[in-house]
Amino acid sequence: MKSRDVFSFSFGAVRLRKMRAGLTILGIVIGIAAIVALTSITTGLQVTITSELGAGFSSDTVTVSTQSFRMFGGGTSDFTLLVNDTDTINEIEGVQTSAAIMSKSVMLDFGSTELPLSVTGVEYTAYASIYSSFVAEEGSIPETPVNNSVVIGSRVTDPWDNGTVIAEVGDTILISWTHRVGLEMVEENYTAEVVAILEEIGGFSMGPNDLGLYIPLSTAQSFFDTDEVNSIAVQLVSDDEELIETVSQAIEDAFDGLVTVTSPTALLETMSSVFDIISLFLIGIAGISLLVAGIGIMNIMIVSLMERTREIGILKALGMKSRTVLGIFLTEALVVGLVGAVVGVVTGYSIAMIFAAFSGGLLGGMPGRESSGGPSSSLMTITPILTMDIILGAMAFGVLVAVIFALYPAWRASKLNPVDALRYE
Amino acid sequence: MTTVLEVEDITKTYMMGEIPVNALRGLSFEVESGEYIAVVGPSGSGKSTLLNMIGALDRPTSGKLMIEGVDVSTLSDNQLADTRKNVGFVFQFFNLIPRLDARGNVDLPLAIAGVPRSERKKRTEEVLTSVGLEDRMHHKSSELSGGERQRVAVARAIVTNPAFILMDEPTGNLDSKTGGEIMDLVKQLNEKQGVTLIVVTHDQYIGQQADRTLHMLDGVIASDVVN
Repeated sequence: MKSRDVFSFSFGAVRLRKMRAGLTILGIVIGIAAIVALTSITTGLQVTITSELGAGFSSDTVTVSTQSFRMFGGGTSDFTLLVNDTDTINEIEGVQTSAAIMSKSVMLDFGSTELPLSVTGVEYTAYASIYSSFVAEEGSIPETPVNNSVVIGSRVTDPWDNGTVIAEVGDTILISWTHRVGLEMVEENYTAEVVAILEEIGGFSMGPNDLGLYIPLSTAQSFFDTDEVNSIAVQLVSDDEELIETVSQAIEDAFDGLVTVTSPTALLETMSSVFDIISLFLIGIAGISLLVAGIGIMNIMIVSLMERTREIGILKALGMKSRTVLGIFLTEALVVGLVGAVVGVVTGYSIAMIFAAFSGGLLGGMPGRESSGGPSSSLMTITPILTMDIILGAMAFGVLVAVIFALYPAWRASKLNPVDALRYE
Repeated sequence: MTTVLEVEDITKTYMMGEIPVNALRGLSFEVESGEYIAVVGPSGSGKSTLLNMIGALDRPTSGKLMIEGVDVSTLSDNQLADTRKNVGFVFQFFNLIPRLDARGNVDLPLAIAGVPRSERKKRTEEVLTSVGLEDRMHHKSSELSGGERQRVAVARAIVTNPAFILMDEPTGNLDSKTGGEIMDLVKQLNEKQGVTLIVVTHDQYIGQQADRTLHMLDGVIASDVVN
């Protein structure tokens, strides 16, 4: 029997029992849709996060801190980095330049209300050479800044995104910093003149961000009355992985292993392996539903086999070989699996899109128009990603499950003795 | 005249649980092409078992059974299936595939044999016309009368030009008038197209119409009479 005839015969059998076929297909659809939806959402999320992270650093940059950047655990030590530790780092071979970063939480006071933000003390030139996103959109970042200058992130001008402009180039802003002296809380004020507004950066960033306030490092040192810095960003001569490794080691050695050197590549790798685990876990759960669908197929096919025993007897009496009977039953499962997989992929992607639209609105709404808390520094939207790999993988999986679970009933059908099958009532 | 079927001392023993049942106990006969043979006998005489052997649905326990020179008793399952393409079956309960129309049912043996579609279409129309169903080609079996269903079954049996047609109580499920019409059609096919017929039956009418009657009793041929 020609395969085209086998297919049309099988297709006819599936079509005959529409309700039954529909329900069997539904099982596959649910499994595949779950896999596709979860995979495309996690892939989309992964791409969004890594690309936004990636935009925040340059691949030839490492960050030196006393704190672990690892995803899990990691504590702090008593050791602190100081402003002039950059000198030690700059001497290490392979280091292009480095910038000490001093960050404190402050309140931005603009009359009617205050806005909690963080102020960062950096050397503008070194910082800009490390982070390409430290570029002025309005005004200009001075090479030798006057003490009271401040560079602000793009969203600081209009933190609620509703036209309430609170600072423009040339304006002065009042930054107040509260700290403890002995038992008392002391508030210190600093009036700064906005010299530049940064271009929009977006998303996550190790470097500058849209809600940051950047003052000259020397100003920060005197205002906060400290030489301690949070971290030192180090730019290397190239982004060669081996070089990053060697220099990172050299920096750690230079501080007797009391600092942690984080490379963006390593961080991205960690993130991506975490995502892989999450998506594998989710696919595993979706896979269980597909397994259930497979058992459903097997069940239905065994019932169908009983009903069609006589038909199988007739086919065999007409000269059909056992392997053709096997082929007919497997083709029926293939049709069910294929239809289920195609509908499942479409459904899954639609679910992902709906979810994305919903969650996008949710995350987008989070900063809150008039919320009392600080505005979020990022507006994260997930675009589900449906790659050819996901489509083909999910379809292959669906078809495979259908066919594998059909193997046993199909084998039993093919082994039926024509004499007994014809006599079957 | 060529011999289409040669049965030589075949036996068939079934196991009913622990007890062996000798359904066929050594019988021999030959069928020439163009013959019309009736096989008669009481229930339990081994008619159905013989029919299964001749139809290559089952293998004899011993003896030789040749269909157009092919010894069925030594064939594998696959070869047995191929041999069945050379036998046309007509059953008491029609055994049509309900979801296929008349044409689909008649087309099935040709499709199984791998005949190209264009050829099949022509052949099925030809055969359905020869059994008088040219107007019922697109009717499913549920839309056909008993007599019409059996005509479809006859058409399905002759469509591949097999060595012989094997009929198992072809009139058993029809009223006598319709049964008579079917047998007249079959007789006509035998006379005009030289179709070889082996009919297992209780029907006296068929017994009289056939060229030769084999009487079976207790697993052997009690008499072989040329009418």
